[in-house]
Amino acid sequence: MSETQPLLATVKVAKSYGPVAALQEVDFAVRRGEVHALLGANGAGKSTLVKILAGVHPADAGDLHVDGRPMRIHAPVDAISVGIATVFQDPALIPDLTVRQNLRLSDIEEAVFTHWLSWFDLEDLDTDSLVRELPLETLRMVDLARALARDPQVLLLDEITAALTADQAERVFSLLTQWREQGRAAVLITHRLAEVRRICDRATILRDGRNVALFEPNADTVAADGSSTGTMQDVEERELVEAMLGTEVSDSAAIEAPGSHSLQQQKTPASPQEISFAAQGLSSGDVVRDISFELRRGEILGLVALEGQGQERLFSLLSGDRRPSSGDILVGGSQRRWTAPYDAVGDGVVLIPGDRLLTLLPNLPVRQNLVVPLFSRIRQWLRIPADERQRVMNAIDRLSIDTRAASQVRRLSGGNQQKVAIGRWLVAGFRTLLCFDPTRGIDVQTKREIYALLRELAAGGAAILLYTSELAEIQLVCDRVLIMHDGRIVDEQDAAHATESSLLTAAHGLEVLA
Amino acid sequence: MMTTVRSAGVAVWRAGLARHSWSLGVWLLLSALLVWYATLIPVFGQFQITSISKNSLPLVYLAIGQAIIVIAGGIDLSLGALLLLTNALAARFMDDQPFAMVLFIAIILIAGLGVLNALVGYIISVSGVPDIVVTLATGYIWSGFALWILPSPGGGTAPEFRWLFTGAQSGIGGTYVMPILMMMVPAILVFLLSRHTRIGLSIYAIGSDSVAARLAGLDVRRAKVSSYAIGGAMAALAGLATVALTGTGDPRFSVGANATLNSVAAVVLGGVALVGGTGLVLGAVAAGVILIMLNPILSAMGIDPNNAQIIQGLLIAGVMMVGGLVTLLRERSA
Amino acid sequence: MSQSPQPAQASATEGAPAGFAARAAAVVSEHPTLALTGILAVLVLVTGLIEPNYLSVSGARNTLLQAAPLGILAGAQTILMLTGGIDLSVTMVATGSAYVAANQSPEGAAVAILLGVVVGLAVGSANGVGVAVFRVNPLIMTLAMSGILLGLFTAWAQTILQGSTQMGPFIKLIGGGSFLGNRIPYSVVVWALIAGGLIWLLRRTGWGRLLYAIGDNEVAVRLAGVRVWQVRITAYIVAGVLGSLSGILLGGRTGAVDLQLANAFLLPSVAAAVIGGTSIFGGVGGYTGTILGALILSVLNSMLTFLNVGQAIQQVVYGTIVLALAWGYAGLTRRA
Repeated sequence: MSETQPLLATVKVAKSYGPVAALQEVDFAVRRGEVHALLGANGAGKSTLVKILAGVHPADAGDLHVDGRPMRIHAPVDAISVGIATVFQDPALIPDLTVRQNLRLSDIEEAVFTHWLSWFDLEDLDTDSLVRELPLETLRMVDLARALARDPQVLLLDEITAALTADQAERVFSLLTQWREQGRAAVLITHRLAEVRRICDRATILRDGRNVALFEPNADTVAADGSSTGTMQDVEERELVEAMLGTEVSDSAAIEAPGSHSLQQQKTPASPQEISFAAQGLSSGDVVRDISFELRRGEILGLVALEGQGQERLFSLLSGDRRPSSGDILVGGSQRRWTAPYDAVGDGVVLIPGDRLLTLLPNLPVRQNLVVPLFSRIRQWLRIPADERQRVMNAIDRLSIDTRAASQVRRLSGGNQQKVAIGRWLVAGFRTLLCFDPTRGIDVQTKREIYALLRELAAGGAAILLYTSELAEIQLVCDRVLIMHDGRIVDEQDAAHATESSLLTAAHGLEVLA
Repeated sequence: MMTTVRSAGVAVWRAGLARHSWSLGVWLLLSALLVWYATLIPVFGQFQITSISKNSLPLVYLAIGQAIIVIAGGIDLSLGALLLLTNALAARFMDDQPFAMVLFIAIILIAGLGVLNALVGYIISVSGVPDIVVTLATGYIWSGFALWILPSPGGGTAPEFRWLFTGAQSGIGGTYVMPILMMMVPAILVFLLSRHTRIGLSIYAIGSDSVAARLAGLDVRRAKVSSYAIGGAMAALAGLATVALTGTGDPRFSVGANATLNSVAAVVLGGVALVGGTGLVLGAVAAGVILIMLNPILSAMGIDPNNAQIIQGLLIAGVMMVGGLVTLLRERSA
Repeated sequence: MSQSPQPAQASATEGAPAGFAARAAAVVSEHPTLALTGILAVLVLVTGLIEPNYLSVSGARNTLLQAAPLGILAGAQTILMLTGGIDLSVTMVATGSAYVAANQSPEGAAVAILLGVVVGLAVGSANGVGVAVFRVNPLIMTLAMSGILLGLFTAWAQTILQGSTQMGPFIKLIGGGSFLGNRIPYSVVVWALIAGGLIWLLRRTGWGRLLYAIGDNEVAVRLAGVRVWQVRITAYIVAGVLGSLSGILLGGRTGAVDLQLANAFLLPSVAAAVIGGTSIFGGVGGYTGTILGALILSVLNSMLTFLNVGQAIQQVVYGTIVLALAWGYAGLTRRA
């Protein structure tokens, strides 16, 4: 019976990177007419499995079946030719060529491509623009439209909604619904469990490279109401998180669940502390306009904004990476003129960038990654501090970094890489910490550890500015929150009373009604 | 309808010019230098144009080959040695042969060196050894073969073959039609190949982002090997042009090494970034001619030819510094 | 890669046999210097078979005399390659320094060496500023610098540097002389001191850590609060000084200098570092491997000289072996 024959299946697939086993004996099957969620904490092996299905890396062992027939897939071109199209987190488009040239290289007719683009309201896109000049969210749509134009049987979508606006994400969901009705299949890799419940039919959970659970709610629900939503809505988010973490999660400890108090209790009492860092009328072109705020010792100040409101530029001004076109930065009350991050770090103002490519030395060991700031001054060049090893060990312990693959940081999981990025400043020391979306794409467990650490640092007297794209985090970790829209600070709220809806309203530039 | 199509076409052209403003600038610089040169000497005419164009041929061919390889994200330090090898083979086997035979040998050499260098590209792709290291080593090998085939300067070629590249059977004097044709025909062919065919675009693609190229389903290895094949064929042309120009073969190692370094300089001056994926073959052509033109210009100005080397070096370093400074300022202000 | 996907004939279980060869390969890939030492030993033995006199004190001394200047030049390349750079002007620096030192030899060895080293300091600074501040590609910057230096010294040889092209007795002794009954060349002692210094710099100083870090991810190092240009400029200055010292040793060995003195060492200096396992893309490598690389190339050179096959075959064999070593090395390290 062809209905039960999986469209795409792996049988006991295994893959190791050096000594680290990324996947072990994974069975994974996608049926026709379903949207299948692939879930797991960071380092669980999701990306590895996607790469094997997409032909990026060959599996060390195991079989791959397409429509019941065993297949060998050696390269992405093979996967494409058997009807598997993948949209990776980084768009697979050539930056120095135009969109049209990219299509030509993929043998795709422009008319078909434009048809799919119109799904996302992008039919006006100039296909003669260089890929390099287009914003990331557009590129993800272009990449998706190209994947669709290949007319595949299976779509693999890796964190497709990460860079999209809510509106665009909505269109992707309606597309997936249609896709399912055509009897094709889609695999959705995501950290957003709400999406899974809304759109998916089944979910496979990976943990430590193994397939640990398959959620398969009663399929009759779909047939019964014929609705556009998936059947996963019957599954509680808590169940999914438990399966991902392998432990029972109490409601209050689940990071998404509001009203968890363990972290909030750590918040410092509202005793006025000295101002550690301040911005006065900071501007940079049209991107950042007249931004002022004060940051006190022991405080975590949240920053919320929709994508592309100038928050990246603001952080590069605050960290000394760029010079503001006007306005001042004050550290400990005195005005600073920085020309490079060197000066900011010298004043104890340090940055953890959002993009890990900007922090890590991928081919060097954890230790070398952690010690870089110890040598920023020329007078530190000709020696190595006697306590270097001790400091490194302390940071590794405090962050509980998994050092099994410590010889090359690129082999660590995303969560561990983020810990290394933070650990660098634990080793070097700082007074003001600028944190840009430190939990983006990171699993629940690591998120919890990072929040606890931030509170601990604040309690120790650090001043922290935290930009985050996950609004639920604000209430959990911050004391106050600023909302940025179109380059300006448009609102300030007390984090304890900031709800997702009040934050979102303000972030859209609308007035929040009390 | 027609007007919208035309204006769209104009917009594309304008965007194209803006994107390739460096290449355009190099051609403008070349024109300006020609005009300046013309005012420096009492008589400027056919002789000077012929001499500049024919003397530029070897470097221009090498620069075209190097440009394609650099665009694909590689670099070939053996191109000069391939020039030597062709030069030695041609001078040895073309000597006292009829023109038809000479042409046959020339075609065999172009095809043969294309295949040979494709093999080098394949080795780079399979071994994972960086381009610069592999071609450094193969450069020794080809130079060694050149010396083995032609142990001392000598050999020759057919007068008609000399006419083909220089416009004169004696290699002296002649008209500029042949040298300019021989320069521009391969240049335009390779340029069109690189911008308007699938293999050409995939050469740009792997140089721009080889990971994305692979993920998009391109055959990265085939593109890489193709770029090296073109480079080898162009190096063969350069070697043939050298035989035609000088009438003999000269297998000295240093000749090849200098030719390689000049080809890299021409490519970079021509606006092809060493990181790959950008620039135009035609920019490298103009830069190659400029590098050759410096010598007559300096001697016309009464400057010691030893100083030509200094000025050439200062020019390359200066242009690249200005380029670096411009990007730096642009980043700051953006 | 162009083959279309076919149904699998057998399940893709491979990599199972873990025989002796596999285990040996694993050990070697963990410790690449072992493999290099092995290759060096084999080359020495083969050379000994060709020319039995080679396996003697004087044979070793001759190889070391060749290896010392090459090893120092390769040290310059190693430092720069770790940062993702390269120096194609290093042999012109060596030649220029030797030329200045020879010219100033009548003033005494100290003045001669000092002024020679000034050449390296000046050129290294210029290269460093070009690469680090103006962001010129290192290949292009140093290539242009090499041309400038050749032109300058050719012109100066007839003007301000007219006169002595002979090295003074002290420099000749250091460059070509030996002690302990003509057993140990002084130049090897100089090399050993420099090698010790370089290994210390790379392994036990913050500057060394920064060289690796910059080669791996320059942006990250900048955001970590380091002035990357300072590190780069100092790296080029150190490389320039190493070039000078190497040139003076080389000049001392040959006694007289000309403008071709160090030319032939350019490609071997890069090759020695590459064979020794330093990545041309930066971030990976070290000087221990480079020392072995320089020794291997010097022994190879001796072997080819003894074989008396003529320059053509020498070049072919040299190129083939450099390629084979680099390939083998890449294969071994990719396993890990």
